[in-house]
Amino acid sequence: MEGFLNLILEPINEVYLKFKGFFPNLLAMLTIIIIGVIVAWLVKAVLLKFFKAIKFDSWCDRMGFTALLRKADVWAKPADIFVVAVYWFMIIGFLMVGFGALNIQAIDSLVSEFFLYLPRAFSAVVILLIGYMVAGFLSRAVLIAAVNSGLHYAKLLAEAVRLLLTVLILAMALEQLQVAPSIVVAAFSIIFGGIVIALAISFGVAGIDPARRMIESGGEEKKEEKGDVEHV
Amino acid sequence: MADFYQTGIITTLHRLGKPSLERIESELKEFSKRRPVALVLPALYSEFEGKAMPRIIEELAKVKFVHKIVLVLARASEKEFMKVKELMSAIPYEVKVIHNDGRRIKEIYDTLTRNGLEPGEDGKGRSAWLAYGYVIADGECDVIALHDCDILTYSREMLARLCYPVVNPNLDYVFCKGFYSRVTDRMHGRVTRLLISPLVRSLKDLAASHPFTVFLDSFRYPLAGEFCMITDMARVNRIPWDWGLEVGALAEVYRNYSPRRICQVDIAETYEHKHQSLSADDPEKGLMRMTVDICKSIFRTLASEGVIFSDGFFKTLQVAYLRMAEDTIMKYEADAAINGLTFDRHEEAKAVEAFTRGITMAAQTFMENPMGTPLIPNWNRVTSAIPGILDMLKKAVDEDNK
Repeated sequence: MEGFLNLILEPINEVYLKFKGFFPNLLAMLTIIIIGVIVAWLVKAVLLKFFKAIKFDSWCDRMGFTALLRKADVWAKPADIFVVAVYWFMIIGFLMVGFGALNIQAIDSLVSEFFLYLPRAFSAVVILLIGYMVAGFLSRAVLIAAVNSGLHYAKLLAEAVRLLLTVLILAMALEQLQVAPSIVVAAFSIIFGGIVIALAISFGVAGIDPARRMIESGGEEKKEEKGDVEHV
Repeated sequence: MADFYQTGIITTLHRLGKPSLERIESELKEFSKRRPVALVLPALYSEFEGKAMPRIIEELAKVKFVHKIVLVLARASEKEFMKVKELMSAIPYEVKVIHNDGRRIKEIYDTLTRNGLEPGEDGKGRSAWLAYGYVIADGECDVIALHDCDILTYSREMLARLCYPVVNPNLDYVFCKGFYSRVTDRMHGRVTRLLISPLVRSLKDLAASHPFTVFLDSFRYPLAGEFCMITDMARVNRIPWDWGLEVGALAEVYRNYSPRRICQVDIAETYEHKHQSLSADDPEKGLMRMTVDICKSIFRTLASEGVIFSDGFFKTLQVAYLRMAEDTIMKYEADAAINGLTFDRHEEAKAVEAFTRGITMAAQTFMENPMGTPLIPNWNRVTSAIPGILDMLKKAVDEDNK
């Protein structure tokens, strides 16, 4: 009878001992998460005030970031979006740290992978932001130059430049994020290469006659030069 | 039939003989292929519940030369906005309804405010300005026509006559203002008859026939809410958001364009819309509020043209206006008598007294703060501050209309 009781009590005792060993970790995780939520909330409040003070929204309006958000049918204020992103990023960060406190191997490796991935995600965001500004600047520069040159397709040209740069920037960002890198590189090569070949062919074919005229007129000019009459 | 006399420095296009609507509309249909027309309608939801708007929709459904209608709906809930979209769907060409109180448009206003560009308070001025922004962003129309949505006697002929001088490339006017007589069994339009005309003529005498007073005096109905203009004008003209809207808009037209390219056209034999109460004792309401805003707008425009205002000037103006207005009452009394119209001379005199008080109040406010209420900035100014604003506005309207 005692043996039978032991059979029942031993597993329970084992579970109790395991839980006793695990409980401090669980408590640590909960504490980290609660502190994390409070810290994230405080950072959110401080960031909101800070962005208001530096007029972050106005800056985004002038730089065109707000217009970009609106294009995606996002109508919240840029500062709110940024602050909410930071808030959730911090929450996820603290969740990961909290899970790390559980000392479970599978979660530990997930957490370390998450933190290793952060620099890449950050780089991708920076590439997107700078790329957007550069694309906007170059597109505008092309538009002004083309309008000043009297090209009637100035807007089309500027939009084409913006599109090409956007494709390039997106490919760079995806490559940085290591999202199917081989596919991204291949797709980018095909798209970009295709565009360049299409442009080369279209310019080449369209340029046959002007090039012929240039060559012919060059020859005629030389002939005329020979036949010039010198006046005394 | 009207006479054919030309008054003032702008062109007056009269209603002579029996002009054929079919002819005008068929010509407009041809011209509008090269100069597409956008019709801007600033409306309140309450106007859809009245008699005027159903008739306007019915008439607009027959119009063939308008490329697009941009209706700015104010004071409407989301449900009411949806209802208006449904009502406007009876029109067989493109209609965009801008939900002035919608979250997307509110965000557009917020964007402007945080960048120091005050779009002003809710009203016809701001609604019209917003609609111009959409027409510019859309880039499809070269001409903008605008009329109110409370016209009880609306007919599509009004719109055709209003658009014709600007849409016809052979005439090539840049701005055309509508005029009409507001007569039923009596003469209406007290602010135009008893305030604007006597005030402008008094100012003309005192300010040595300043060109702006001559310009303003050339309009038969300067407060008419119906006009047509080229889209480029919407880019450069600033707009007042208060009751000084019509006069302020004319001041901007005067500032930016030659009077030779401006005209007024007789758009209707009869015109009836809602009447405002005088509210003689309350300067914040009714015609008194309108009086103060209009006077401030005129004073400010003249000051910006170099006319020097002083206490003495305003005292003289008050007396000169009163005399001119009293003479005007006598003229209208005679006019009413010969036409068999009801004419309450006492009511007219009371209105003049109230308008005199309004001028005094406006003068006082102007002397305290000559800059007055800022105008809504023009779209060129707005786009230079926020380059993507027109795209945002277009996106907001297009999303709301999906």
